[in-house]
Amino acid sequence: MVSKECCRNEIRAAIRQLSDRCLYSAAKWAGEQVVGIEQDPSNFTPANTRFQRGSSSIRRRFSTNESISTPLPSVGFSQAATPLPEEDEAIDGDIYLLAKSYFDCREYRRASHMLRDQVSKKSLFLRYYALYLAGEKRKEEEMIELEGPLGKSDAINRELVSLERDLSALRRTGAIDSFGLYLYGVVLKEKGNESLARASLVESVNSYPWNWSAWSELQSLCTSIEILNSLNLNNHWMKDFFLGNAYQELRMHTESLAKYEYLQGIFSFSNYIQAQTAKAQYSLREFDQVEIMFEELLRNDPYRVEDMDLYSNVLYAKEACAALSYLAHKVFLTDKYRPESCCIIGNYYSLKGQHEKAVMYFRRALKLNKKYLSAWTLMGHEYVEMKNTPAAIDAYRRAVDINPTDYRAWYGLGQAYEMMGMPFYALHYFRKSIFFLPNDSRLWIAMAKCYQTEQLYMLEEAIKCYKRAVNCTDTEGIALNQLAKLHQKLGRNEEAAYYFEKDLERMDAEGLEGPNMFEALVFLATHFKNHKKFEEAEVYCTRLLDYSGPEKEKAKSLLRGIRMAQTGFPSMDLEHFPI
Amino acid sequence: MAGLTRTAGAFAVTPHKISVCILLQIYAPSAQMSLPFPFSSVAQHNRLGLYLLSLTKSCDDIYEPKLEKLINQLREVGEEMDAWLTDHLTNRFSSLASPDDLLNFFNDMRGILGSLDSGVVQDDQIILDPNSNLGMFVRRCILAFNLLSFEGVCHLFSSIEDYCKEAHSSFAQFGAPNNNLESLIQYDQMDMENYAMDKPTEEIEFQKTASGIVPFHLHTPDSLMKATEGIPYGLLHNRKETSRTSKKDTEATPVARASSSTLEESLVDESLFLRTNLQIQGFLMEQADAIEIHGSSSSFSSSSIESFLDQLQKLAPELHRVHFLRYLNKLHSDDYFAALDNLLRYFDYSAGTEGFDLVPPSTGCSMYGRYEIGLLCLGMMHFRFGHPNLALEVLTEAVRVSQQLSNDTCLAYTLAAMSNLLSEMGIASTSGVLGSSYSPVTSTASSLSVQQRVYILLKESLRRADSLKLRRLVASNHLAMAKFELMHVQRPLLSFGPKASMRHKTCPVSVCKEIRLGAHLISDFSSESSTMTIDGSLSSAWLKDLQKPWGPPVISPDSGSRKSSTFFQLCDHLVSIPGSVSQLIGASYLLRATSWELYGSAPMARMNTLVYATLFGDSSSSSDAELAYLKLIQHLALYKGYKDAFAALKVAEEKFLTVSKSKVLLLKLQLLHERALHCGNLKLAQRICNELGGLASTAMGVDMELKVEASLREARTLLAAKQYSQAANVAHSLFCTCHKFNLQIEKASVLLLLAEIHKKSGNAVLGLPYALASISFCQSFNLDLLKASATLTLAELWLGLGSNHTKRALDLLHGAFPMILGHGGLELRARAYIFEANCYLSDPSSSVSTDSDTVLDSLRQASDELQALEYHELAAEASYLMAMVYDKLGRLDEREEAASLFKKHIIALENPQDVEQNMA
Repeated sequence: MVSKECCRNEIRAAIRQLSDRCLYSAAKWAGEQVVGIEQDPSNFTPANTRFQRGSSSIRRRFSTNESISTPLPSVGFSQAATPLPEEDEAIDGDIYLLAKSYFDCREYRRASHMLRDQVSKKSLFLRYYALYLAGEKRKEEEMIELEGPLGKSDAINRELVSLERDLSALRRTGAIDSFGLYLYGVVLKEKGNESLARASLVESVNSYPWNWSAWSELQSLCTSIEILNSLNLNNHWMKDFFLGNAYQELRMHTESLAKYEYLQGIFSFSNYIQAQTAKAQYSLREFDQVEIMFEELLRNDPYRVEDMDLYSNVLYAKEACAALSYLAHKVFLTDKYRPESCCIIGNYYSLKGQHEKAVMYFRRALKLNKKYLSAWTLMGHEYVEMKNTPAAIDAYRRAVDINPTDYRAWYGLGQAYEMMGMPFYALHYFRKSIFFLPNDSRLWIAMAKCYQTEQLYMLEEAIKCYKRAVNCTDTEGIALNQLAKLHQKLGRNEEAAYYFEKDLERMDAEGLEGPNMFEALVFLATHFKNHKKFEEAEVYCTRLLDYSGPEKEKAKSLLRGIRMAQTGFPSMDLEHFPI
Repeated sequence: MAGLTRTAGAFAVTPHKISVCILLQIYAPSAQMSLPFPFSSVAQHNRLGLYLLSLTKSCDDIYEPKLEKLINQLREVGEEMDAWLTDHLTNRFSSLASPDDLLNFFNDMRGILGSLDSGVVQDDQIILDPNSNLGMFVRRCILAFNLLSFEGVCHLFSSIEDYCKEAHSSFAQFGAPNNNLESLIQYDQMDMENYAMDKPTEEIEFQKTASGIVPFHLHTPDSLMKATEGIPYGLLHNRKETSRTSKKDTEATPVARASSSTLEESLVDESLFLRTNLQIQGFLMEQADAIEIHGSSSSFSSSSIESFLDQLQKLAPELHRVHFLRYLNKLHSDDYFAALDNLLRYFDYSAGTEGFDLVPPSTGCSMYGRYEIGLLCLGMMHFRFGHPNLALEVLTEAVRVSQQLSNDTCLAYTLAAMSNLLSEMGIASTSGVLGSSYSPVTSTASSLSVQQRVYILLKESLRRADSLKLRRLVASNHLAMAKFELMHVQRPLLSFGPKASMRHKTCPVSVCKEIRLGAHLISDFSSESSTMTIDGSLSSAWLKDLQKPWGPPVISPDSGSRKSSTFFQLCDHLVSIPGSVSQLIGASYLLRATSWELYGSAPMARMNTLVYATLFGDSSSSSDAELAYLKLIQHLALYKGYKDAFAALKVAEEKFLTVSKSKVLLLKLQLLHERALHCGNLKLAQRICNELGGLASTAMGVDMELKVEASLREARTLLAAKQYSQAANVAHSLFCTCHKFNLQIEKASVLLLLAEIHKKSGNAVLGLPYALASISFCQSFNLDLLKASATLTLAELWLGLGSNHTKRALDLLHGAFPMILGHGGLELRARAYIFEANCYLSDPSSSVSTDSDTVLDSLRQASDELQALEYHELAAEASYLMAMVYDKLGRLDEREEAASLFKKHIIALENPQDVEQNMA
């Protein structure tokens, strides 16, 4: 375990370096983490600890002061072996400062031009970074200007070619620092050269691990666990953050949770870690826990919009209308032009059954971010509700094309086709969905239902699917009941009895009652009576007697039959009795 | 779906259009005298005008030429003033220094248009009529420019810069042509020699400007009219020429080359300008046809089209038809997973409503999309990849969904696909699959055999297609029906009592009727021809022909032949037959050939195949073309001997071996096996047999034809090795398989083989019933040639019973003789001759001395024919018999000669290794 103090000092220096290079989102991330480290109570007055959460401005001023005053202590941990790079600020001071202000005013080209003759690594980085951003900005504009009749969008960042040329030249001569390597990686990724981009990013994070943007880029390039394992990364606590995130994206939720749990030992108050943990728990469908976590998160950071779409999903699943509307209102006031906010509002309308409005807000979210995966999927759901299956299919398909591992969208596609009465076609999509999430009973049950439709009527396959669903701990208890019924239908009474018993056990354990229970009891009683196991049959019959209705009468007559069979008339044909 | 809803008529200003405008300015400068400055004659002026006309027409095409190309064309058109034209063009471009210049330029353009209502026009003034083609073009350009926002003007400006820059960079190369350009020049000079005969005066000039371009001349107005209508002049001419003159082995190459080169050209063309939706759809349609026709043959690389599709998709993400093309491409390169993926993606995005012209979009219900078409395609895909059961499931679902949505068109197609599937794949039992689903049939279907189901499905599909006026489907259904009638005895469908009256015969008349009905298509396909044909692509095809090195030498205007030929081409173009139609009609010819083959008329079969190869070879899919080749080669082997056949096979191999599921290898193995049997090289024969068996898939019910073929040949090999009981075993089990999968025609030949086996093993009595059964089979299926050979076997069997049956045997033989001599192959004829001789020799009543000539004659015939076949065993027998006859006649010299011939054959038979050397 790395010492908190060591982490804190490293991050503090990194924040300065990052924001010096205008890598603001990385600096923001780092800032969140440094605040997340639990303060040593001995160093602070109670007033300080009270401010620990929420009012970071006070403490930040405090901490930066401190970090300047104390030189970086290199605590003897092997993990923190990466030394912080020396700064060469004094050399290009004035021009750099001016360029940075241009940059801060979003005048990227001007900033880049200002730095044209500078040779220090820092100004080189800022120069290329500004150029890259200028290209990106122009690209976005062109995308709107050029939009043709067929959705033409061949706008590209025109600076990429020259950037790649210059950066690769710099890299060859070795005149590039880890920030430059990060930028080089980004450029390569945009140009589609993934393996080289990965190499460059790995080099960057190995030499300077505190740049979270580099880690995120690297994560987006790790599309499979093999790639992830093949990366040659130095050990550093930042790597744990990276791995936690990467595991999550690769749907290895328990591994990811373990990582975050470990990190929480140091960054015990980090909002980021809490949100990430909530995400993982959400994927594991622990809604109650997730809700609590998000509530706490919002208490500490009430103006947070990031990840709040997930919270809205949870509220949606729990059908908490009021809470959802409250959340929607809050994010709307905070920043209404964020895809997340639109998504939350869409969820709210969806919950209220106003699907047209929901679609409108999802569309707005997509306008803000065309690759916003969950909006596509959610929009598909809305279209399904509106019975507009072609549109739903279109939306789901877009989600799948953005991220082919999105099992929800595959599932949605299957559902849509099933709705249109094409179960065989739908099966393909269910299969795809199950491939990515083999442990979800709902998917197996959906597939089994497909096989069960009267058009296909492939009961053997349906039974196989239900069995898989049972193995995946089917929480809704559909699978056991269906298995029993299917076996009954196929005349395999032994198997049917087995599954009815299991279903009964389950219902007893969960304290449920209902028609399924009567059905199971009646079947079991009759079954055991037919097989002359009168004691078991009696047990089930007496249980049935507890309920009123036709089942009670049935139980009575069954009991009569059992008595008759037990006493005196063993040879009597059973059919003579009204069963 | 979004791609459909947007407007399709966008007309954007592009740099190319600006160059056309500049040229127009030269052509019709405002306020000028009768002949503007650079032109020295009216003809020259007209020529530029016509060139501009074709340019404006081709502006609707998907591709726009680069500046370099345009300048090249100008050189051709402009003759002596080409330098001035190009200079002016490039100068004009370089004078455009800022967006404001563009604005001024278009203001100037307004000046060259005459006013709409001014009636007073001076005679010598050149004014562009605003309603003429050129005038409309200018107006459209001006309008489009005026609609541009300032950002749009800026984009136009920067793309003009690129346009000029590219041309400059290529100018540098232009002076020194590289290698492939040089080869073009050679072509060019060939043409030039031709040309020089007509117009010697211009020769020098052309030598000077020769840079890989064919001379381009259009002097007379009427030829120009046609040219601007967009006849792909060179291409058509070329096709006609080759198909008329060529033998089967040289044909089809130039066409493949031509179309692949146009494709290549278009793929290389990187400055792809996006056009209207409709144009691109039409273009993609053409590409789809190209994929289908060339399949996966080597001339057509699937990766090049893949990269092209990638590019297109990047440019137009809403154009979903790209996915369909990708699916087609993958389908033809046998990539199952990618094909499936793309197919599903296409239908997910487009809901089956984009690009399918099965039903006009107004009638289909747009709310639901047409996913049933997706099912249909998926079913056909599974079928192609050899998953008959999956395909059947999917098609069943397609039937259900189309019924639900009452999409009769799709239903008709699906039923046709289903019957096709059932008849092609040997599915032993479909009760579990079909019975439950298809309601119109369900009531009766449960007890029906597969064949009857196919029949019902076909009838049903035909009825629907007929009522919906789907001509192509009707035609192909008729063909399928013909196929069905050819192979199956018609039985009444519903009365199944044991005493139900049955006509146990196929009906050649109805086959013929169906085929003819199928071919009716050509007369009335026009009513549903595709709406996607585009004017623009034709014009640009014509423009491309400027560069075609193999274009036609220009025909001098006063030669009499020209008129008729251009007229013919014009007609040919006006009724240009869609590829699918000519494919179907081609298929009808192939079917005709197959049916004649079965009925036993070799000349008719050959003729029909030849008709197919000459007329439809260029438009057919590669697998059909291959089939035609193979038929011809088989014919050669049967009637001309192996040498010719192998020579032809070599040609075919080069052409078709790259086609997926190529049957060339199969045919090669068959021929080799046949030859090995004849030469007595049994080991080789056995090996080839095993290889044949290995070609078939291991799945049940798939590749039945191949499996039957393999075991038939195995039995024959065993027979040749004199292992009679084993041969009989193989044949018996084969018969059982044929029975199980209802392969009636194969049954007849298996029975004949069994008779043969018994004959060879000396059990003539046992052989007789088999021979008789085979004959009765042949009769009921009208297999005349097979029947003749069965009759021959029967006669042989009779003779085997003893010489007292000679008379009966001879009678039988003489009955079959007309058929055998008229249509039989070399082997059959030789066998008949030898048998006849044998009969005469063994007949105690006739003596050799009296009619030795008949005997000798037939023996001589036989040995001649066997020579070509290299069939040593029979040849030896023939020479032996000859020697015997000569001996009896006392003609000793000839006897010795025959005897030595006999010896030679026997030696060759015993040492088959010698022959093997020159076999491969």
